[in-house]
Amino acid sequence: MANFIGVFLRSLEYGSFYALSALSIILVYKTSYTTNFAQATLGMFNTFLVATLVVRQGWSLYAAIPIGILSAIVLGILIDVIIIRRATKAGAVGKQIITLGLISVFLGLAPIIFGVDNLSLPRLISAGTLSIFGNPFSYNALFNIFFGLLIMITMFTTIQKTKIGLAIRTTASNETTARIMGVPTKTVTMAAWAMAIVLSLISGLMTAPYSSVSLTFMNDVQITAFLATVVGGFATFHGPVIAAYGISILLNVFQVYMPEGTVWGKPILYAVLLLIMYFKPYGIFGKQRVKKV
Amino acid sequence: MIKIVKNSYIQFILLGLALLTLPFIAEMGVIRNSTVTVIGTTIIYTIAALGLNVLLGFSGLISLGTAGFMGLAAYISAYVTETMNLPFEVAVLAAIIIPTFLGILVGILSLKFEGIYLGIATLVVAEILREIFINVTEFTGGASGALASRPELLGFFKLDRIQTYYLIVIVMVIIFMLIHNLTKGHMGRALNAMRGSEAAAQAMGINIFKYRLIAFGIATILASVSGVLYVHYVGLSYPTTWNLMLSLDFLAIIVVGGFRSIFGTFIGAFILFAMSELFLKPIPALANIAPLVKGILIIIFILYYPNGLANIKNQVSHWWQRRKGKKDEYGQTKEKKKKLTRAEVRENDTA
Repeated sequence: MANFIGVFLRSLEYGSFYALSALSIILVYKTSYTTNFAQATLGMFNTFLVATLVVRQGWSLYAAIPIGILSAIVLGILIDVIIIRRATKAGAVGKQIITLGLISVFLGLAPIIFGVDNLSLPRLISAGTLSIFGNPFSYNALFNIFFGLLIMITMFTTIQKTKIGLAIRTTASNETTARIMGVPTKTVTMAAWAMAIVLSLISGLMTAPYSSVSLTFMNDVQITAFLATVVGGFATFHGPVIAAYGISILLNVFQVYMPEGTVWGKPILYAVLLLIMYFKPYGIFGKQRVKKV
Repeated sequence: MIKIVKNSYIQFILLGLALLTLPFIAEMGVIRNSTVTVIGTTIIYTIAALGLNVLLGFSGLISLGTAGFMGLAAYISAYVTETMNLPFEVAVLAAIIIPTFLGILVGILSLKFEGIYLGIATLVVAEILREIFINVTEFTGGASGALASRPELLGFFKLDRIQTYYLIVIVMVIIFMLIHNLTKGHMGRALNAMRGSEAAAQAMGINIFKYRLIAFGIATILASVSGVLYVHYVGLSYPTTWNLMLSLDFLAIIVVGGFRSIFGTFIGAFILFAMSELFLKPIPALANIAPLVKGILIIIFILYYPNGLANIKNQVSHWWQRRKGKKDEYGQTKEKKKKLTRAEVRENDTA
């Protein structure tokens, strides 16, 4: 039992990483109607910026993070203004291909700007552990759990209760009508891109101390986040986030309790989730979109 | 004479013959031997990209799993010839049948997904395959990779490097002809209709289930052929080769070369792969910008030139016709109008 509580808490921590990425994906999907495959690469790029400032320039982590957030916002705005806004003629798959092109661009830029070496980023809270039912738990891990939950709660309250949230929801449900009603849809889309990349950066900053900052360090997080978005359904904002925490718990349970789980837990979970996708193609929380000729 | 050259089959054979002369040119010392190897690999990539082009270009279904299937075929072929010591022909059969079976399974899954979900589903399949490549070490050799020797045809005819190159060119020409034949016929029209509107295609009596599976089948078969040729030409297969970046390369090849065009796929592969290997990589300052250039090309082509390089021929001839039309004062107006409507039809077709 004590072991299980440890597994559960660890799942919540990793769930934060996945949920932040999933929220980033769903924000872009809702406002630009495309799945942003470049989410991980953009997160990696900004995390690399923070890591370079910390490791190579000797900045403090807390001074470097605002620069990273600023860079994320600027990138989000630039991507929307220069590329996505002009892609009105491209279909859904065409836009997906554009985000795949973005992967290539930033994977090419990162080694040129930051060099080819992997960097190691310090934890947000460097020291201190707490014992929970005999499981040692670092303050950093607890911070990740609570900060992840805090961001989720803030985002959902913003989306559900405020005027900005209303603008996002109307843009998501029908962009043309929203524009007629006077919602500045262009600004909303731009803000959604900026916010999405900031969320990717936060996810990257939390993940990085557990591995090292390399060109591909966020790919696993992104694939799990994508699965969470599909399993949770693209229809709602909360579906993917709940699914992200759920998948994280399942993944940890598979890896800990299954024989040879550390090796096969992940591929088996992926296969199971593919099956769920087959039977619930619009997600567990989703509803079918009506197709017309 | 012009009529003969305009025949697509003759064009494919001429292209094949031109490529077959490259080793001789290399022997004369005009180009380097390594250039021939790069071009051989480019042809292998062309084959896999052509499969994806049938899937994405004709039927509008995206797949990010091409590299996974290609890798699976490569490992199976290496395993059957090296570890099981069976003939090359058996390896080819096994390496095509198993991935194709899997590809058709994905096709069945795809029936439930809309375009936007399919990319994610195929990405996940490729990830599962990659985990298998890394972890099943007795089959794949794990991180140290699997080795394969050059093909031995019919049990006694061992090919060397240049002969393997000939084999690759011949396979390419045959595949070009087959795909040309398939896509110009009933199947090509059915896939085109499906891309336009699935509901409308269904109403016209097209069996979507059947044609989606056929499209996935062709894409996987070509990826498998390409994987087999790769492992026996390059001689090695690492798990890191078969990642998302390779699938993206195939996508970039199609976007830049042109959807639904066989020559376009070839040109795209040349620009994105051979050019960067031959011209960018040898210059240290430019060696790292290849992925950056690739990404920018993808975005620019999707935004401003969605028909790809294959469309240049049409545009040039249009421009030429229009110039000619301006010079004549009378009698050309009718001809001009006809051309214009055809252009509009083509535009509507691709939109």
